[in-house]
Amino acid sequence: MLTIAKNLYDYRELMATLAWKNVTLRYKQAYLGIAWAILKPVMLMLIFTLVKSFVGIDSGDIPYPILVFAALMPWTFFQESTSEGVTSVVGNTALIKKIYFPREIFPITSVLTKLVELGINFVILAGLMVWYQMMPTIYILWVPLIIAYTILAALTIAFVGAAINVYYRDVGAALPVMLSLLMYASPVIYPLQLVKDKLLTQQAAGEWSDTLYTLYTLNPLAGIIDAFQSVVLRGTPPDLNAMIPGAIMIVILLPLSYLYFKRAESYFADVI
Amino acid sequence: MPAIEVSHLTKEYRLGAIQGLKQTLLNTAARLTGKEVQERPLFKALDDVSFSIEQGEVVGIIGHNGAGKSTLLKMLARISTPTSGSVKVNGRIAPLIEVGAGFVPDFTGRENVYLNGSILGMSKKEIDKKFDEIVDFAEMAEFIDTPVKRYSSGMQVKLAFAVATSIESEILIVDEVLAVGDLAFQRKCFDRMEELIRDQNRTVLIVSHNIRQIERLCHRTLLLDHGRVIADGTPSTVCDEFYALSNAAIAMSHAKTHARRGRLEAVKGFELLGIDLLDDNDVKVDEVVTGSDFAVALRVDCATEFRGVIPGFGVHTTDFFYLTTHSSESSRSTFNLPVGESTITCRIKHLPLLPGLYQLRVGISDGAGAALLYGENLCQLRVLSPENSPTPASMRDGIFLLDASWSRQSKSAAEEIHESADVLR
Repeated sequence: MLTIAKNLYDYRELMATLAWKNVTLRYKQAYLGIAWAILKPVMLMLIFTLVKSFVGIDSGDIPYPILVFAALMPWTFFQESTSEGVTSVVGNTALIKKIYFPREIFPITSVLTKLVELGINFVILAGLMVWYQMMPTIYILWVPLIIAYTILAALTIAFVGAAINVYYRDVGAALPVMLSLLMYASPVIYPLQLVKDKLLTQQAAGEWSDTLYTLYTLNPLAGIIDAFQSVVLRGTPPDLNAMIPGAIMIVILLPLSYLYFKRAESYFADVI
Repeated sequence: MPAIEVSHLTKEYRLGAIQGLKQTLLNTAARLTGKEVQERPLFKALDDVSFSIEQGEVVGIIGHNGAGKSTLLKMLARISTPTSGSVKVNGRIAPLIEVGAGFVPDFTGRENVYLNGSILGMSKKEIDKKFDEIVDFAEMAEFIDTPVKRYSSGMQVKLAFAVATSIESEILIVDEVLAVGDLAFQRKCFDRMEELIRDQNRTVLIVSHNIRQIERLCHRTLLLDHGRVIADGTPSTVCDEFYALSNAAIAMSHAKTHARRGRLEAVKGFELLGIDLLDDNDVKVDEVVTGSDFAVALRVDCATEFRGVIPGFGVHTTDFFYLTTHSSESSRSTFNLPVGESTITCRIKHLPLLPGLYQLRVGISDGAGAALLYGENLCQLRVLSPENSPTPASMRDGIFLLDASWSRQSKSAAEEIHESADVLR
């Protein structure tokens, strides 16, 4: 564990440079530059708000647009860093075949790159909060922890996915589909409170209700999105009960995913 | 402690493509039912290779295409993992496997220098310090803020080489990177390499097909053939062995394509039966001693009579560097060849070639200057050192022998005392 951290620390400059490369490269020769990074969450926010006006989703005390934007921020970050992470190794074939450095740098760098875009979205969020006249509370200090947890969740999929993708490109093709399905299984469009009400309070699925809720929160994004909305918008501490099942899963799967990646790594140059 | 220690290194690759789902399922089924599994065949890129390289040694690695040179370098640079055996490397390695790996076309020269530098393991501070030197060396000051995609390929390589060679590492791995840029820049690269090697006492591994370069730069050479080290020693002997091997391969491929020997073109009715090397007693020989007299005899067969024929022959190296050419034109003698077989002989006094392997080429033209026959690489000329004594080291560095002698002139007695005092001091 310690050696892994030290290794990563040794390569911090390289990771920073590669992340800088990814960010600059993406917006180079684009007139609007990095402003494109906010396009996706803002567009989705507008669409969902439009949809909501037909369907009617109870967003509690919080105005729906800002609630959905606060859900889209961690979600987009998770989704994009996962899919970039999975294709990162194959995308850097030229480097893999020529130069050695620890290969986990590629997925990690992808996540770092997306962190920059997440930072830009915070500016939009702040703007929305000013618009709706919402004051951040002390609980906003939870945000770094929540983002760190999101990074670990993204890496759990990215490591194993990137390694398999070297052998079978199917992963890179299948992942976007899986991820967009996962979005509906996460409280992005609707708040977690609705699920909680249905399953825990109303026991809508009978005796299976509690199990179903645990199953739902096994998806780390359920806890992450809800926690993010709570600490930023509602001014309440995160609902840890909703986070525990997902966190346990990440704690078990992340080391396995990493080990698998490290085992496969030595053959990347031969197979890729 | 050796800088690099390789023991029983073996690398196998599976031939063919990665299997699809169907084959994988079939194989799993076969395995489960205990049937024989259809595996993809293995290819041994490296086969039980062992050697060790001391700190400060400069080692050249040569061999034909596919001999395993690049695979070996990849193992040393940790890019790939051995199937069995081990590689131990003490010190930081800078792999120049291919210069410019990781250049991003959309970035400017400046950005690429920083990016490439950190990919190769330099810190930002290090690059800052060396930036001007890199740009100077690449002669790129004017274009450094232009995107690399607008560079010519030569410019890209120059910049990449400048970055790559500015890394300070104990071990440097160089794979065919010296052949970059125009002649002037190649010269500069070569000087840079020599400087890296001699002044900084680094361990250097060079892979190249340019044997002269290897002979010049290296202290030691490894010859790889089909994944094995078949020779390990001083560059001159190993390179000779490689030349012999290459010549054999060339002869083989010629035999396969039904060309009798070398590249030979002749007009109809005119045929070269053979080339013989004769010593001064007109006895057929395979090898000639440096400085001795010998003769080249061309046996030809004519279907019709040819008049005023001018024969000539030349000597070249395996890599087609023409050393000398001689034809009867220079002595204004022509020959009339009757129908049937005839032999034309050229006698050479004091063969001025240093020991080594050479090739002969032959050209015969008619009086009007039209070629009757021309061929290169027709016959091997192996030149030995006198009386089979081992070649003095100084005799290795070159191609031809000078008819020269050494002496010392005595000056006045006083000066001589002064001079010897100088020597003692």
